[in-house]
Amino acid sequence: MTITDLVAPEAIIPALKVNSKKQALQELAARASALTGQNDRAIFEVLLQREKLGTTAVGYGVAIPHGKLPKLDKLFGLFARLDRPIDFEAMDGQPVDLVFLLLAPEGAGADHLKALARIARLLRDQDVAKKLRASRDAQAIYSVLALPPATAA
Amino acid sequence: MASLDSVSIAILLGAVLVMAGILSSLLALRFGAPLLLFFLFIGMVAGEAGPGGLRFDDVHTTYVVGSVALALILFDGGLKTRFQAIRAVLAPSMVLATIGVLLTALITAPVAKYALDLNWTQALLTGAVVASTDAAAVFLLVHAQGLRLRPRVGATLEVESGTNDPFAVFLTLTLVKLLSLGDASAGHVAMEFVQEAVLGTLIGVVGGRLVVLAMNRVALPQGLHAPFVCTAALVIFGLAQIAHASGFLAVYLAGIIIGNRPTRAHNSVVTFLDAATWLAQIVMFVMLGLLVSPERLVGSIIPAVGVALVLMFVARPVAVFLCLQPFRFNWREKMFVSWVGLRGAVAIFLASIPMLVGLPKASLYFDVAFVVVIISLLFQGWTLAFAARKLHVALPRTDRGPRRIELDLPGQLEQQLVGYAVRPKSLYLKRNLIPSWSKPTLVIRDERILTPAEAEPVTAGDYIYLLAPPEKAEALDRFFVDMPPSTAPDPHLLGDFMVSGEITLGDLAAIYGIAVDPAQASLTLADYFDIHLDHAPTVGAALPIDSIDLVARSLGGGRVNVVGLRLPEDEDPAPPKLTRRQALKAKLKRGWTTLSGA
Repeated sequence: MTITDLVAPEAIIPALKVNSKKQALQELAARASALTGQNDRAIFEVLLQREKLGTTAVGYGVAIPHGKLPKLDKLFGLFARLDRPIDFEAMDGQPVDLVFLLLAPEGAGADHLKALARIARLLRDQDVAKKLRASRDAQAIYSVLALPPATAA
Repeated sequence: MASLDSVSIAILLGAVLVMAGILSSLLALRFGAPLLLFFLFIGMVAGEAGPGGLRFDDVHTTYVVGSVALALILFDGGLKTRFQAIRAVLAPSMVLATIGVLLTALITAPVAKYALDLNWTQALLTGAVVASTDAAAVFLLVHAQGLRLRPRVGATLEVESGTNDPFAVFLTLTLVKLLSLGDASAGHVAMEFVQEAVLGTLIGVVGGRLVVLAMNRVALPQGLHAPFVCTAALVIFGLAQIAHASGFLAVYLAGIIIGNRPTRAHNSVVTFLDAATWLAQIVMFVMLGLLVSPERLVGSIIPAVGVALVLMFVARPVAVFLCLQPFRFNWREKMFVSWVGLRGAVAIFLASIPMLVGLPKASLYFDVAFVVVIISLLFQGWTLAFAARKLHVALPRTDRGPRRIELDLPGQLEQQLVGYAVRPKSLYLKRNLIPSWSKPTLVIRDERILTPAEAEPVTAGDYIYLLAPPEKAEALDRFFVDMPPSTAPDPHLLGDFMVSGEITLGDLAAIYGIAVDPAQASLTLADYFDIHLDHAPTVGAALPIDSIDLVARSLGGGRVNVVGLRLPEDEDPAPPKLTRRQALKAKLKRGWTTLSGA
């Protein structure tokens, strides 16, 4: 499983304009809704529910909001680079500008956890993050994500 | 006129004594001696055998003052108790407070019978008088000396000491009644106990709610909120006592209710009660010191010491180990709870009841209680911090958060003013970050008050005041502490994701599809750490649950408040990135091991 198994080229937003964490989640939910055909309200609620347990900002300007959506048929990922960094209540206090959304179907169990781990570990790589920040369009971002982990640097 | 003079002299002496008590707290704090003993000592010095030569044997006054002081201390203890902290320890503390007290009294009684030559009822009364731990002593000593206990242990001790006084009072009163009136059937006694407990709970809860309602509805003049709450506590106490309910239980519960609801002027109430209980303790101990008569004490000191030793080393430990058996405490925690069976003013207060009623041998109970309290405070009180560290129930000292100033804003309850000194390395200053729910309102620089716009840019050394909801004030702290020099912790060790320590295992299971024991689903992650780690949690401590690891990521107030989730590795982990030289080295090493056949 690579990251590009999770995120399609059209699920990449190169410069999302949002002002707050809530707005970012709403916007991502709307985009995810358009691509999966699921209700955007339901997606937003699921994401919010997870944020209530603790922020999904993992540090170094990266956030990985995620949740389970019962009616989904497979794992769904969406990547957004924010136009302007926003406060995501991160532990390290860094404003966030790279956001990876992951939605999992009800029974995804182990796959869900593995996908999350894979995403978290990829985006933690400072070289990958630097390349993603430097990429201006969806195509460039997709090719960074598509690189196998070992050669991503 | 002579009688007027004697009143004036009493007022003068009383005030001087209390003032000496207050001033002595400076001294005692500096030398770290158990403060309470110090006050007892002051009373004794002023008393009949000391240089003061005051003759004081008014048991009636002692009882009245003791009741009021104890009611205030318990109320204050309740006020500072967070629901969140006690939820997890309610069951163990309740068992300790009831069955524990009974067991302690029963085990102490035979020793008292033979050592002091008493009959069984009298011996049991002696046991009952010294059976309960003292709320004042526990609240004070557990927080003194910068000691921080593992929350579950600390909370158990506090809730136990808050709730066992009512039971010990009840037990003592029942036995005193038995001794002065003769027979009573067991069924009757049990009924009476249930009535006291149920009515006490009812009056406490209803009274507490009424006080909250009154506080938030009635526009009292500035400064009267705190005295209002204080007297309300005493009204609740008096009402419960008259209704033959446990007044002590009622005030403690009322305190918990009031302390856990948003009320006007909450901060000023807490400060006022701090001072009031401090004074109450001083008055109580000074008075008890006055009341004791050292000549009489000499005769009973040896058997009394015997009772004290049995209580400390046999009765309390046996009762604690039996009572905590069904709950998940490790042996070190049980040892510590046994050792911190601090006795204090309650025992002496209870011992004054037989005197008040005029039972035979009444002074004997008093003397025994006095000796037990001195020995307990001296040995257990003094070694408490040492025991906590040796038994691994103390938490490592961490730097305290920034000093936060909280100001109520009359007229509404949703917002308060929160002030901080702006530190040079704070998140606020370095990144200019502030949560969206708070609003900078004014800045103080060089004693001048500026609006945030005028103060732009805010610099280190300024004071900033923000509007924020009271319940979130604590969350502002992180923006105003000096950030540690960024020693980026290995994220892999601390987990991929973070969640709050206050969420339950069930919450986690619902989102990540991991399997948890249904019996533990309602346990919070912080409690899970408390229960399953047998030492105080440190950052990086890990606990497996199903396929993921929980990692303690940050600690606050001794609890794990942020938990890292370390997700399972892929089956085919990406090969580590190697430089050409490292790769060569690895290859050589592999070759060498194959060759050498190791």
